[in-house]
Amino acid sequence: MESRGRSHVGVTAMVVGLLVIASQMQGSIGIRFVIDREECFSHEVQYEGDTLHASFVVIKADTPWSYGDEGVDLVIKGPSGEQINEIHDKTSDKLEFVVQKKGPYRFCFTNKSPYHETIDFDVHVGHFSYFDPHAKDEHFAPLLTEIAKLEEALYNIQFEQHWLEAQTDRQAIVNEGMSRRAVHKAMIESAALIGVSVLQVYLLQRLFERKLGTSRV
Amino acid sequence: MALKIFRNARLAVLLVELVYLMGFLVPSAKAIWLTMPSSGTKCVSEEIQTKVVVLADYYVVDDTPDENHNIPTISARVTSPYGNNLYHADNVTHGQFAFTTTESGNYLACFWVDGQVKEGSIFSISLDWRTGISAKDWESVAKKEKIDGVELELIKLEAAVQAIHENLLFLKTREAEMREVSETTNARVAWLSILSLGVCIAVAALQLWHLKRYFQKKKLI
Repeated sequence: MESRGRSHVGVTAMVVGLLVIASQMQGSIGIRFVIDREECFSHEVQYEGDTLHASFVVIKADTPWSYGDEGVDLVIKGPSGEQINEIHDKTSDKLEFVVQKKGPYRFCFTNKSPYHETIDFDVHVGHFSYFDPHAKDEHFAPLLTEIAKLEEALYNIQFEQHWLEAQTDRQAIVNEGMSRRAVHKAMIESAALIGVSVLQVYLLQRLFERKLGTSRV
Repeated sequence: MALKIFRNARLAVLLVELVYLMGFLVPSAKAIWLTMPSSGTKCVSEEIQTKVVVLADYYVVDDTPDENHNIPTISARVTSPYGNNLYHADNVTHGQFAFTTTESGNYLACFWVDGQVKEGSIFSISLDWRTGISAKDWESVAKKEKIDGVELELIKLEAAVQAIHENLLFLKTREAEMREVSETTNARVAWLSILSLGVCIAVAALQLWHLKRYFQKKKLI
């Protein structure tokens, strides 16, 4: 009778634990947007003590020469307006901090260059749930804890992968630009060389004709 | 002894109910809030591969209700990389859309304000955008396959690992493409510098030949 009672508690502990895991629907939010002067986003953090990871990569800048090395500014403000972090003039950065207060956190990007820039922004809140110590059953609690840790680690990996993808995109654009620019440079250089030498010949001919003209007369 | 077991069971049931309620009262906060200006369009995009399920849900966040408690209405449009219109909604305060991608590229979701909004007022749109693995409906999978508990969690984790692996393979192909571009750029720079040098020498020789002919014609040499 007592063992049956204990198995009941065990089953309920498992259900409790799983409901707590199941209610953590997480993942990261990765979006790309075009920034003109300033863009702000908010994200709601529900639990204190969570770690908030954020990353951004400037994918491309619509400059005429397709070369933009100026970055953007990012200011992170907490729920009551207090400033948490500030980043200036970076083309890509990753940061994390522990959330002290729950509520909406604001991420504001400022673009200092006069051109539009495409930015890839990713936010991920890592939550580690603690299981109810009342439902103590030695068999299930460590297992569920480990599964929760594994889930957290996998979401972290996905977050890092998203940042890596954004960086490769940026590099791909830079590479293609470089290839195009090499061809353009060679053509312009050849055209300039030919033009300059034709100008030289023409000027020399004019000089000698003038000299010949004055001396022969 | 029987009383103690009964009390334990009641406590456990109470706990289960409490956590059950908590699990459903707390919404899955995965949404991001975009601040909308009173005029103009706000667009967000994402690079998505083919055959990926996309689920999105958006609603206007009533931050600062005005005197008449009017919630501003917005319009939304989702376009595929080739310009096809996948979803369009006018004058709504909330909505959702879902589609499976057929083309790989940049998918764009744009929102703009409809109707009259007070000049200079700022409000937010909450956008919950899930692609691929996060868009999967685990309840229906659990019901269909009749799995639950630890097995379901482990299957979720396995699917997440699969998604990570596919992502990694995609990154590998991107890296291979970039490597190819870099190597062609390298070869091009080398050949084009030789070409420039060749053009320079050829043009100088041509100059010399032309001027020599000119001076001989003018009987200066």
